[in-house]
Amino acid sequence: MASLEIQNLQISIGDKPIVKGLSLTIRSGEVHAIMGPNGTGKSTLAKAIAGHPDYTITGGDVLLDGKSVLEMETDERARAGLFLAFQYPSEIPGVTIANFLRAALQARLAEGEEIDASAYYKRLYAKMDLLKIDRKFTSRAVNDGFSGGEKKRCEILQMAMLEPKFALMDETDSGLDIDALRIVAEGVNAQRGSAISPGILLITHYQRLLDYIIPDHVHVMWDGRIVKSGDKSLALELEAKGYDWVKQEFAAASA
Amino acid sequence: MSTASPATQSQNGSFTAEVFAAHLATQAAAPAWWLERKRAAYAQFAALPMPARTNEGWRFSNIGTLSLDGVAVATPSNLKSQISDFKFKAVAELTFANNTLSSRTALPADLAAKGVIVTTLAEAAVKHADLLKAHFMAQPQKLGSEKFAALHIAFVGDGAFIYVPKGVTVTDPIVVTHLASGAGTAVFPHTLVVAEENSRATVVDYFVSADASAHFACGANDLYAGHGAQLTYVAAQNWSPTTLSFQFNSTVVRRDARVQSLNLHLGARQARHESLSQLQAPGAFSEMLALTVAMGAQEFDQRTLQIHQAPNTKSDLLYKNALRDTARTIFSGLIVVDPDAQKTDAYQSNRNLMLSDDAEANSLPGLEIQANDVRCTHGATSSRIDPEQEFYLQSRGIAKAAADELLTFGFFEEVLNRLENEPLHDALRELIKTKF
Amino acid sequence: MKLPSETLSPAADETVMENPTVGIDQTKGDFQYKVDYAFDAGTGLTEDTVRYISSVKKEAPWILEFRLNALKKFFSMPMPTHWATKDLENIDFQKIRYYLSQGQKPKRTWDEVPDDIKKTFERLGIPEQERKFLAGVEAQFDSEAAYSNIKDIVAKQGVIFVNSTEGLREHPELFRKFFGKVIPTGDNKFSALNSAVFSGGSFIYVPKGVKVTQPLQAYFRINAENFGQFERTLIIADEGAEVVYMEGCTAPKFSTSTLHSAVVELVALKGAKIQYITVQNWANNVFNLVTKRGIAHEDAEIKWIDCNIGSRLTMKYPGVVLKGERARGEVISIALANDGQHQDTGAKMIHAANNTTSNIVAKSISVGQGRSTYRGVVHIPKHLKGCKNNTECDALLINTNSRTDTYPAITVRGDQNATQHEASVSKVNEEMIFYMQQRGLTEGQAMSLAVNGFINDLARQFPMEYSVELKRLIDLEMEGSVG
Repeated sequence: MASLEIQNLQISIGDKPIVKGLSLTIRSGEVHAIMGPNGTGKSTLAKAIAGHPDYTITGGDVLLDGKSVLEMETDERARAGLFLAFQYPSEIPGVTIANFLRAALQARLAEGEEIDASAYYKRLYAKMDLLKIDRKFTSRAVNDGFSGGEKKRCEILQMAMLEPKFALMDETDSGLDIDALRIVAEGVNAQRGSAISPGILLITHYQRLLDYIIPDHVHVMWDGRIVKSGDKSLALELEAKGYDWVKQEFAAASA
Repeated sequence: MSTASPATQSQNGSFTAEVFAAHLATQAAAPAWWLERKRAAYAQFAALPMPARTNEGWRFSNIGTLSLDGVAVATPSNLKSQISDFKFKAVAELTFANNTLSSRTALPADLAAKGVIVTTLAEAAVKHADLLKAHFMAQPQKLGSEKFAALHIAFVGDGAFIYVPKGVTVTDPIVVTHLASGAGTAVFPHTLVVAEENSRATVVDYFVSADASAHFACGANDLYAGHGAQLTYVAAQNWSPTTLSFQFNSTVVRRDARVQSLNLHLGARQARHESLSQLQAPGAFSEMLALTVAMGAQEFDQRTLQIHQAPNTKSDLLYKNALRDTARTIFSGLIVVDPDAQKTDAYQSNRNLMLSDDAEANSLPGLEIQANDVRCTHGATSSRIDPEQEFYLQSRGIAKAAADELLTFGFFEEVLNRLENEPLHDALRELIKTKF
Repeated sequence: MKLPSETLSPAADETVMENPTVGIDQTKGDFQYKVDYAFDAGTGLTEDTVRYISSVKKEAPWILEFRLNALKKFFSMPMPTHWATKDLENIDFQKIRYYLSQGQKPKRTWDEVPDDIKKTFERLGIPEQERKFLAGVEAQFDSEAAYSNIKDIVAKQGVIFVNSTEGLREHPELFRKFFGKVIPTGDNKFSALNSAVFSGGSFIYVPKGVKVTQPLQAYFRINAENFGQFERTLIIADEGAEVVYMEGCTAPKFSTSTLHSAVVELVALKGAKIQYITVQNWANNVFNLVTKRGIAHEDAEIKWIDCNIGSRLTMKYPGVVLKGERARGEVISIALANDGQHQDTGAKMIHAANNTTSNIVAKSISVGQGRSTYRGVVHIPKHLKGCKNNTECDALLINTNSRTDTYPAITVRGDQNATQHEASVSKVNEEMIFYMQQRGLTEGQAMSLAVNGFINDLARQFPMEYSVELKRLIDLEMEGSVG
């Protein structure tokens, strides 16, 4: 059983504090949803945990299986088992999906070890079929000229291939129509039910995604902190009452 | 390699030491430092050779026709500006005829009270020596015409001096007209503009011949935009079709300042224009625009340099040429990004509209980039009027010639539209129409 | 051979990834065996040097005359430093050896090749190359072709593939007509130098209508200190003929400067197609000053694919003279300049007939303090109709102090032609690097992938084994570019 512990984490962009002391523990197989209005630091949390250079950790810690990742480079964190599904995935002209994923998998092997090419393609095609991605996409450049939905499916494909211990999914539902959303959710759920069974942190603005990926825990984030936690019913409550309700409650509590 | 110039044609042509001495004698009222500057410039001019075929700064130029012979420094003239084809609302006007102030209108009292100065170089040399020393031809000549720039300093008679103090806005344009008259007359127009911190101004230079004879024009302008200043500068060159013209521009842009310059080239048989923009501090922005109507056997030779000397600076160049008859154009532009001038945003575009089977367009768009976090692009195209567009207009009943003219003006509008001053925009368009 | 650009299926990626043993390992170039030279023209350049070379080669008098005339031109011409880099002034022509030879006739079979030379080639991997991919190998060892072989299939089609000495001796009627005509001796100082002291290089004639299905290939190496290599290549594709020629270079590294100055002339007669592919990876002390030009007659097509990774200074602007109506010219150029390197490359397109088209795509990468320069000439002179040129130049700057320059010159006369030139400069997108690192790639690996992606559309135009080699060379160059 793997664990990802976020301990009183504080994050700044430049001099501006964005995340102001956030704690959360995720274990293998669990799905945690973080919801909240725009600008509360949800995406900042995900990118900072992945090691994005624009963000400074000013306090707290992030432990993967009890070991801090904060001194690790982005790629070391990734190889240790952290996966970030980007809200806006980068386009990488000229680098095909097949070559890119292969390089990423190769980077996880020990010196001198080589990927078994036929097994690799077999696995890749199986995952693509599941996500209803045309096999021709393997020779297309990563995200280059992809529609919003194609980009998001490509993120899930990468997650399926790289088999992380923990996935931070940043607004994976944004820009998806209902069919694409269902496909993406099926892809995530398939991994959830597999032997890999990653822990998942779902960052989302809307409850819609949570109809398809049922969370074990729901957290509401506001002004850089988790202000309320509950089970999946909390998401429904939020949907019904809106975020103002939480804000008021939080304001009352901190007054 | 043989040189084209015959033995009789010296490298200094009509501008001999005796001619220079005679010119100095007319400048007796000027301060000593000014005369010293002229003497040094003459020595430099006399020592420098004429451009050679192998000189990269003159690649594609017709150097065989750059004669300095057969001309004489203009004698003072009292010609008034009789130019009616270029009119719009001005806040103040200065007219120089054959290097001498011939008329002026007074600046409105409120602007004068705020410290705005619109006067002559001669007066400025006495009253504002520090400003003149700091800005008059103070920037390096990097585009090939060191010799002719020195000639300009040596023989400059009078010119415009415009100063806009800190925080002052001058809404309507300040207009300077430079007239040349008489066969073989050599004129040396000059306009110097200092726009201090957070000031705003528009300055228009108009170069025009009072008669159809051949003149020799060797002019320059110095533009300086201080911290946060916004300066618009328009130069409309409409010399007689037999004139040989040189024009040198230097633009210095300081922190968060913006200079927009637009050069309209219509006249002269051969016109060399050099424009240097130095972006010296973060936030500086230089917009460099030019329109050329080249016809007959005219040659327009335009050389530009955008130097990004500080991070976060921007330059945007758009030079458009319409070529008719056997005319030639040369556009040679260079964007230089100094080491450490990161976050530079530089653009350079040269568009040539070919309107004749005998016209020739040469494009040399260049980049020298020594910082990596930059956005620098350039483009150059040469092509005729789009036959589809031409057909479309014809299908609406417009004759081919009229359709072509409409489309040609459409081609110019992209540049003219960048000007905020509508009456000035209209006046420039009307001036272009006189060529069609 | 099928070009990779035509195969977009995953299987293509597969093959590219799965055959890392093909191509030349750059590290294999970094060695030197002792060779006893039978003929040696000594150091320095005089009329005697030229006479010596000509006599060793037992040349016809007209060739000696051609050489001596060229030498005069070379001495009389100034260094082109009024537009080119001053680094040229560091070449000391009197410290260079202009001719070394084993004095042996070209060998036709592997068994006949002397053992020490064999060792060199084995380390280069040439025999495998030949067995697997090549129709013929003309591997030049120093000045003379030491090993030359044309597969039966090519010879049977009447294709002549010999070295320059043999070409001028055995087939003067064929080669003399075009020799020095595409690139006149006095075209530039270095073409004059080559014309005076040339030896080696390939002479190829492809008869009417013959389509050579496999690429012809030659490897050139420099293997003696201070020894300039001056090969001369002339390829003639007769009417309707088609041929692809590939050259790749690796060279041992030496402490003092070496000079390579080749002249390559291509003639594509009516309807012929010539593709000339170069991967240049000289050691970083080599001055690589090469003149390459082709003449394309009516409906003919000449395409230069030129990749420059090595050398201290490369100056090379492959050109096409579009002499016949509807002729097409193309230059695909990739340059990578690392610390201490200046890749001054580009293209020349001279339109000389109606309805001719030319296309230039140049991509450069500057790493560390490397400098890459694009120079281009597009010339569409008077009264032509329907000519088109399209030029794209993209420069990628890796480090803060990397440098790139672009100096195109475009002349268009008349209203019946169209040209378009675009250039851009950029750096590697930081978000892209973060994205790749998030997938577990190191910053160096991510940078390498990004750079390979930048040139991928051009690299795909290379035959497969070359694009593999290219990828690996770029990986090597990008090592240590970050951090």
